[in-house]
Amino acid sequence: MSRKITLKSSDGELFEVDEAVALQSETMIEADNILTLPNVTSEILAKVIEYCKMHVESPEADDRAAADELNRWDLDFINLPDTTLLDLIRAAHHLKIKGLVDLACSKVADRIKGKTAEQIREYFNI
Amino acid sequence: MEESAYVSRRWEDLDTDILVKIFQSFDIFQLTSGIAHVCSSWRMACCDPLLWKTLDLSVIRSNFIKIPLEPYVYVDARSDKTLTRLLKISLSLSRGNLKTLIFHFNLYVSDDQLTYTAERCPHLRRLVMPAWNRIKKTGICKAIRIWRDLESLTMPSIANPPYLMEEIANNCKNFSELKVMGPFDNFFADTIRMYLPKIRVLSLRCSMIVKDALISILDDLQNLEVLNISHCLLIEIPPPPAPRRIMRELDQSIIEKASRLREFVTCMKDSCIMCQRTRNDEGIMRWYKYEEGLWKADEVSSLAL
Repeated sequence: MSRKITLKSSDGELFEVDEAVALQSETMIEADNILTLPNVTSEILAKVIEYCKMHVESPEADDRAAADELNRWDLDFINLPDTTLLDLIRAAHHLKIKGLVDLACSKVADRIKGKTAEQIREYFNI
Repeated sequence: MEESAYVSRRWEDLDTDILVKIFQSFDIFQLTSGIAHVCSSWRMACCDPLLWKTLDLSVIRSNFIKIPLEPYVYVDARSDKTLTRLLKISLSLSRGNLKTLIFHFNLYVSDDQLTYTAERCPHLRRLVMPAWNRIKKTGICKAIRIWRDLESLTMPSIANPPYLMEEIANNCKNFSELKVMGPFDNFFADTIRMYLPKIRVLSLRCSMIVKDALISILDDLQNLEVLNISHCLLIEIPPPPAPRRIMRELDQSIIEKASRLREFVTCMKDSCIMCQRTRNDEGIMRWYKYEEGLWKADEVSSLAL
């Protein structure tokens, strides 16, 4: 029976994940059975786990259809409001989930590109 | 009791690492369009050395026309201003960290722009600059004197190479890699033998090469490890009155002399489209006629872009 890891969000909620899911996060994998995340809310943690569950298995190298489908899922998944995106990037960065960091950063980059400094400040409330 | 560390929920407080990662997907226009002016932490991320190892300006061309007198191109003022502005911003953000600088063959940099640039990237290691129409001897020599760490140069063929090679020999102690885009004659070969005898990598692809010039560098460049003469038009110039002739294949003497090289890259096939193009263009490849970015290729991986 595979190891399970428990994650505790900042608002006290507990999430249990299989080892296979946790493998995508360097931080999770190195933790003992329970990992406390004082900077990640349950809302965000749920999203992170959703991503990891979807990415447990990479599509076969020659399976274009599966790869495309996963890409579409990713694009749909990451289409989040900016505040959520901000929290998600931070969580993914802290948990060292490379794929999710890259995906989220790419989304933010898209939202920045084409805007002037003034527009960016307005958009992101800086 | 656990402590909950305060984490800002603001975009300006995002980790520099994360900001740099976001900016890594930006091209030069996007990097210089204003993200450095959003706030101080974003500016700091914009200046991160990770973003400024290479400045690739090969997406930019001058707005120019050809003219019958030197420098044979006339660049319109607005196009020049755009380049200057781009150079100012990117060189400022790069904080002197640039290691590689790439220009397009139709980007006609002026002397002043070159000097301005060199002064702001003194640790440059690789320069790709296929057109020097508006560069004067003094300009390029000044730049070479600043670029003491220069290791690799991609340049057009020039009629009078000694002044340049001498400058490189005097100033760039780590110089080891040269790519010449244009005809290679005995004079050029003599200059390299004299001033850059320790060169390790040489690419002369897609140009006319005089056979004797090739033999002389094979004979004398003892440190040469890699030589690329793919798709070249190899010309033999026998003593008069015999005419020049195009060699259809490498002769035994060349093959023997080249056998000591670690990598001798050749292609002399009638069926090869690049070979055909060099032949049609009479040894001076007209890159503008062909696919976008074709000029960037090189069979030698360290020279490819």
